[in-house]
Amino acid sequence: MLRKKWLPLVVTLIFILSVFLTSCGKTETQTPQQSQEQKTTPTASVQDSDNWTKAKDTSKIPEASKARTDTLIIGLHEPKGVFNPLYSETSYDNYVNSAIFDSLLEVDFDGTYIPSLAKSWDIDKDNNTITFHLRDDVKFSDGTPLTAKDVEFSYYVLADPTYDGPIALSAAGIKGFKEYNEGNADKIEGIKVIDDHTIQIQLEKVLGTSLSDLNIPVIPQHYYGKDFAKGKLDGVKALEQQPLGSGPYVFEKFVPGQEVRLVANENYWKGAPKIKHLIYKTTTEETAVQMLQTGETDYETSNITAKKDNVELLESLGFVDYSLLPTNGYGYIAFNHKLPKFQDVRVRKALAYGLNRKAIVDAVYQGLAEVRDVPQSKVSWAYPDEKDIIHYDYNPEKAKQLLDEAGWKLGPDGYRYKDGQKFTIHFLASSPNPVNDALVPMAVENYKELGIEFVAEPLEFNAIIDKVNKGDFEMYFMAWGLTPEPDPYTIFFSKGSQNKIGYANPKVDELILKGREETDINKRKEIYHELYKVLNDDLPYIFLYQRNDLNAKNSRVVGFQISSFRDFTYSLYQAEILQY
Amino acid sequence: MTQFIIRRLLQSIPTLIGASIIIFLIFAMAPGDYVTSQLQNPKMTEERAAQLRALYGLDKPLPQRYISWASGVLKGDLGDSLLFKKPVVRVINDFIWNSFILGVAIMFFEWLIASIIGIYSAIRQYSVFDTIATLLVFILYSLPSFFLGLVMLKVFAVDLKWFPLGGMITTGSNYTGWAHIVDVSKHMVLPVATLTLISVGGLSRYFRANMLEVIKQDYIRTARAKGLKERTVIFKHALRNALLPLITLFTLELPSLFAGAMITERIFNWPGIGKVVLEGIYIRDYPLFLGYTMLITVLTILANILADVLYGVADPRVRLK
Repeated sequence: MLRKKWLPLVVTLIFILSVFLTSCGKTETQTPQQSQEQKTTPTASVQDSDNWTKAKDTSKIPEASKARTDTLIIGLHEPKGVFNPLYSETSYDNYVNSAIFDSLLEVDFDGTYIPSLAKSWDIDKDNNTITFHLRDDVKFSDGTPLTAKDVEFSYYVLADPTYDGPIALSAAGIKGFKEYNEGNADKIEGIKVIDDHTIQIQLEKVLGTSLSDLNIPVIPQHYYGKDFAKGKLDGVKALEQQPLGSGPYVFEKFVPGQEVRLVANENYWKGAPKIKHLIYKTTTEETAVQMLQTGETDYETSNITAKKDNVELLESLGFVDYSLLPTNGYGYIAFNHKLPKFQDVRVRKALAYGLNRKAIVDAVYQGLAEVRDVPQSKVSWAYPDEKDIIHYDYNPEKAKQLLDEAGWKLGPDGYRYKDGQKFTIHFLASSPNPVNDALVPMAVENYKELGIEFVAEPLEFNAIIDKVNKGDFEMYFMAWGLTPEPDPYTIFFSKGSQNKIGYANPKVDELILKGREETDINKRKEIYHELYKVLNDDLPYIFLYQRNDLNAKNSRVVGFQISSFRDFTYSLYQAEILQY
Repeated sequence: MTQFIIRRLLQSIPTLIGASIIIFLIFAMAPGDYVTSQLQNPKMTEERAAQLRALYGLDKPLPQRYISWASGVLKGDLGDSLLFKKPVVRVINDFIWNSFILGVAIMFFEWLIASIIGIYSAIRQYSVFDTIATLLVFILYSLPSFFLGLVMLKVFAVDLKWFPLGGMITTGSNYTGWAHIVDVSKHMVLPVATLTLISVGGLSRYFRANMLEVIKQDYIRTARAKGLKERTVIFKHALRNALLPLITLFTLELPSLFAGAMITERIFNWPGIGKVVLEGIYIRDYPLFLGYTMLITVLTILANILADVLYGVADPRVRLK
């Protein structure tokens, strides 16, 4: 009795629901049908750079994307909404900010600095000044011209005692910075506006790294600086989600966790962007490829790991162009150089030879990452000649021999001993981490063969950083991100702020200082080649790998000229949509 | 009744203070802080780290930090999120309602379907329906949400294209009013279906067990003996009594409407509070995490009071004098 009256009700309910849902599905899926069959293949005025693997079958471009004739959708890991380039900390917020703001300088394809807002600059080594000459045709998107006052203002924000963003202007060594930042000075002595389009910076000392340290994004004073005074950045911070800059796109709307909408800046000084609307859409690793596949995004930059599986998947779609570029950074295994056992370079070398690094890297990146033997990106101008460096290919015999030489003798239990002490390595493994998942079992096995006990302790990332800062560690795996400027002062200089491993080598210190003080890039090249040879031989870390970044796009969008150093945001103004 | 509620509210104040101290301590004593996680920036120096810690107040002793945080909370100021660089209240407000509507929809369908399956299985215990339903709900119950979620996406969004691939609104759309509601509903179908299917198992077993217990009671036999219709017996005499323990369950589930579902929100790219807070934990954004946890704590305490009150309303036997 009961069930007979109950069930039809449920069935009806489900039926109504499904009718409702399918009907609203229909209203949305109608796309403008292009009636002309097979038009001539459209061509672009600016082509993609050569490092793209081009799609084979443009006929597979999804209809959903073709319907968007004047909108480019870029898939991105969730931006946090810090749309002020002086404050944004994640690279995702930075991608958005790069579309809205310009910097004094740009990074070229090879990692060197080239003009942008500053059309030229003079370096005066005798007086330790750098003078930037600004373009006189740049306007912010509200029509106000960009002048040296705006650059000065941006420097003042970065130098403010209450500034808590990520840009370290202190590293530049501007004269009077400390007095302003920590003391009572109400002006920074070293920053001088000469005229509307010239600004001079007086430094303590001009270094090879000065240009990189002084290169900052410029924000408009008339907009952000209304009630600015020293120690009072509230006005700047309050505009975090109403950005105004001089870049190719103008901010329109931010839907937290969903998307950022931008519209072309018709007055952009490099020329108005060819695509009217730009949307950064939040994607996740799980669905980034499917988003491209269904045409919901046109470009994906951060959420597809460079692995063989993913590349094959993208190729199978037919209409997707992809580009694999060496990531500007490297993974490494650190030693604690304060421990006697790691102070012997033969031991460090033995641990490098005795670990099958290639197998580890291949297990994680399926052949799309390379084993590295120096702490620098292969595509940097500072990278040494491969012939000049030692390649620590897996060689357990050599490792055993080195350990014998270092006095670590095999005991009866199969482990090595020196002065009655067993060779045991305590390894801090940040977890979850895919590299550690491959590294730990491999290291346990490889080092067991050498007679070394390898004990891994899985910990959360922050806990490891904490232990490393306190010096309470033996070995750990981590990765560094690099900037186009190759100076490794903070990492390998004996007093470097990020040299937490206690590494000290007078030769390295000397070369690092020499490289910093030289401003001629050709001379710096030689110095760094020499430096990396020393580091390669001395092994402050076991260098592990350099992986790749994967960019993928629908082949209907063209004009992206990218490199490891120059990301897609530089191409936004010239990119165009081919109307298939 | 009013007196009872006021008394319970007053009693919850020490509970709240105690909870806030424990939450604060757990978080403050976890290794690392927001500045530590920034040490991955090669340009970070010790002096800069110390300066940042001073700006964020992380250099003060723990009791002082607690007091300044707690007094802010009393004034309704949860501080600024370090990750989002804006007030925590605004961050929570940006995301929590998205989690809430998802939670409400899931709760509705979960209770609807679980009650139907549970009651029906109970009155026809060991029938074919009961066996199949039991098997099915247990299979679904045991599935991890990320797996079911990805399968749903593959089938219904990528292959069949019935529903959108995650997110909450159509990219670049400017719908308002009814069109907006329809748009959001379409995006909700897959995440709601995933979480409902997974959670329906547990709840339907509650329904079934409670009904079975009640049906065996003497008063049910009496009701049947009086010659009442089966319908009246089940719905008026059995179900009402079986629902009593479920009132508590239901009320205690209310705070979870605001809690967000970390994994599902991630898979379906739903802009909810769960994944935001998870990231906040990793990066040690303590104002965000503390603010969110305190909010959930307050809601849980309120839900407990509500559960007691409702139980009293529903069951005269436990009504307080």
